[in-house]
Formats: sequence, C-alpha cells, structure tokens
Amino acid sequence: MTTYLNSPVKEVIDHFPEVGEILADYQVGCVTCGVGTCLLKDIIEIHHLSAEDEQAAMGRIAKVVSGDGVTTATERVAPELAEPGEATASASADRPGAAPAGRVKAAPRYSPPMQQLVDEHLLIKRWLALIPEVLESIDVQAAEDRQLILDGVDFIRSYADRFHHAKEEDILFKYFDETQAIIQAMLTDHDKARAHARGAADAVESRDKDAIAEHLSAYRALLGEHIKKEDEILYPWMDRDLTTSQVGELFRRFAEVDKTSGIDVGDKYSRFVTRAEEIVGKRRERIQ
Amino acid sequence: MSEFQGCPGSRMMDLRHNDEAREDVTGAPVGAVASELRQWPIQLHLVSPQAPYFQGADVLLAADCTAYAVGGFHKDYLKGKSLAIACPKLDEGQDIYLEKLKTLIDEGRINTLTVLTMQVPCCRGLVNLATRAVSDSGRKVPLKSVVVDLQGEVLSEEWL
Repeated sequence: MTTYLNSPVKEVIDHFPEVGEILADYQVGCVTCGVGTCLLKDIIEIHHLSAEDEQAAMGRIAKVVSGDGVTTATERVAPELAEPGEATASASADRPGAAPAGRVKAAPRYSPPMQQLVDEHLLIKRWLALIPEVLESIDVQAAEDRQLILDGVDFIRSYADRFHHAKEEDILFKYFDETQAIIQAMLTDHDKARAHARGAADAVESRDKDAIAEHLSAYRALLGEHIKKEDEILYPWMDRDLTTSQVGELFRRFAEVDKTSGIDVGDKYSRFVTRAEEIVGKRRERIQ
Repeated sequence: MSEFQGCPGSRMMDLRHNDEAREDVTGAPVGAVASELRQWPIQLHLVSPQAPYFQGADVLLAADCTAYAVGGFHKDYLKGKSLAIACPKLDEGQDIYLEKLKTLIDEGRINTLTVLTMQVPCCRGLVNLATRAVSDSGRKVPLKSVVVDLQGEVLSEEWL
C-alpha cells in the first residue's frame, strides 16, 4: 500500500481505474485532471474529506490495490494490508485539519485574500466563455478581428498572468512547500498557459486561423480546469493551513500588488471583457 | 417551543454535571498555565488604539464571557494577539467602541481582526460592530468571526 500511497494519483488510476471511481464517489475529481502528479497519500488531505469518508475511501482503495475484491464504504484499511512498520492508511480523526465526521462538502468560504483570487478568476472565466464564439466568427484578414485576438492575448498575459498568476507565484505559493505536487501542477499549468498565449500571438502575426484556434481552445480548456482546481481544492486547502496572521499579511501584500500594478488594471481588463462580450453579442444577433 | 421565555443571553444554565466527564478527559493536573496576555488595559473603553502593541497587530476582540467559557482561551485565541474585550449587551457607549475600532484599523494599521463571541444572540452585536468598523474604515482588513457555545466549543469560524 505504501508504494501506491507515494505514487502519483494518475499512475495509480491508470493501474487501477476503480480507484478513480472510488475517488469520484467522494467528489475527488482526479480522473479528469490533466496533470495527476499529486501523490495518492496527499489527495485525501487536500480534498478535506471528513474523517469517516477518508477512512472509508482509503479502505476501499486498499482493497482494490491489494486485489481483495468487493469493498464496502464502511471498511477501514485492514492493518494486514500495511507493509511492515507502516501505519495503516486509514483515516486519522486526529489529523490536523480533518473535516468533522459526517460533514457534507459545502461551497468553501474563503479568507479575504483567497476570495480576491477567486474574484479575479470570474473575469478570466468570462473571457474563456467567449473564446469559442470569437474563434467561430474570426476573419484573420480583418484587422479588427486580429486586434480582438491580440487584445485577448494581452488580457491573458497582463491580467491572468502578470497580475493574477504573479500573486500566486511570487507571494502565495511562497507560504507553502513549493515542491509539493499540487503546487508543481499549478506551476506547470501556468507555463503551459504562457506557451499557448505565445502561440496564439504568433499565429495572429502569421494570420494562421487554425493555429489561433488551436492555441486559444487549448488555453480555454487548460485554464477552465486550472481555475476549478484552484477554487475547489487548492485555495480551501491553503486556507486551512494559513494562520490568521498570514492571512492578514497576504491581504496586505495583495493590496500592494494591486496598487503597484496600476489603479486601473482591474478596470482596464474588465472593460476589455465587456467590450468583447458586446462584439460577440452583436455577431450572435447577426447570425440569428 | 422552549420552556424558557426570557432573553437567551440571561438564561440560567447549570453546567456542573459536566465536571466528572471533564476530569476523565483531562487526567492528571497539568499545573500552572502561562498567561498569553501581553498588554494592559484590555477593556475596549480603556485601550488606546495608538498603543504600540496594536500597531500592525492581529487583534482579538473578545466578548467578555468568552474568556470564561473557552478553556484554552489563552493558548487557542489570545496567543500572539493584542486584545480588547467588550460586552455588546451591557456596555454603554457603543458609538465610542465603533470609533475606537475604526481608529485601530486606520491608525493602528492592524493586520487582522478576530471577533470571538458567545452563541447567545446579544453577542451578535459585537460582530455587527466590527463589521461596521471595517466597512466604515479607510483601510480594509481581514475580519474573522468565531462563535463558541457555553462550553467553549467552536460553533462557527469564518472570514467575513
């Protein structure tokens, strides 16, 4: 069992697809994660399952990886499954941060700095939602259309990356062990997003409609999943670890970034997204 | 409907029946518990928002009764924080409290404000006061509310 607990969850699911189904039963959506480098042992803590659910999930997983057949939701990890000297992988009600028994997973309530990051995601998601329709109607020979894409790339680079991701990479992640798989996965996403922004900008330059579509569609899929992971898993997990004092410190440091980035960075890019929505809306009306 | 018709905050509660269970849990005597208090005065009317121990501090605004209800008050809530205590029901001069909290936020440039209150409805007034102080201040500051029951168990802990 120890071997699997210390393996990336994607590898475990590849070997034992049933593990993915078990995790999905507890709203742990690792099956759809494009990275999957988080270690199985970290997954349960990161998703903040109740002690009861943690115990049941680990019991079922242990049964699967040991080839022990059908499982029930109430079984503990059998001590005999543990390797010599290994603590059983059952739920620890004593584990700091374990959700109370029987707790139903509710929408997380974030600390103020985390809420700020979640709010920034909302603007990014508005642009992501527009991408399919923008790509559908784009004419790369028209300067106006090329400019819309370039403005979108500028939004990705300046708002989503330099403004938002920089708060994470330069400030937030520094409060944690950055070698942890979940943070490494987020950094990998950021790098991939940057590559797609570069690719889209180059494609506009060469007026290559297919390449524009390829990069922006990939960016949309990547960021959509990335934001979901951060909102639902990463930020709540981080919030549970941060001290009150650290929350205050983060809040102040984010405010400094807002100030030094220019007072209108939010307004400027909010205006861009609103304008893009209007353009797409008009095109939609023309089609109908 | 409950038999008791009066104010829940004044309702008499006999908690002596819990003594035996508590001894079982805690076991042997643990000796003296160190105080985490690092300032004086502590009553909100008496504290000076300009005091050095409030500058950039994590501030605990505790309803008077919480210190008696929460067994680990010093260790769990007071440690590392500067303190102000008040009773939103019995204290006079709530408008002075509001101004004082605003000054703590704006001039004391506090880092965070945690409001620790009892579950009784009247305690909600202290949370409302802190919420108003944060919203009326020029600076924004993270505000957390922790509500405990009569035995000091945490009923809710959330950022507002």
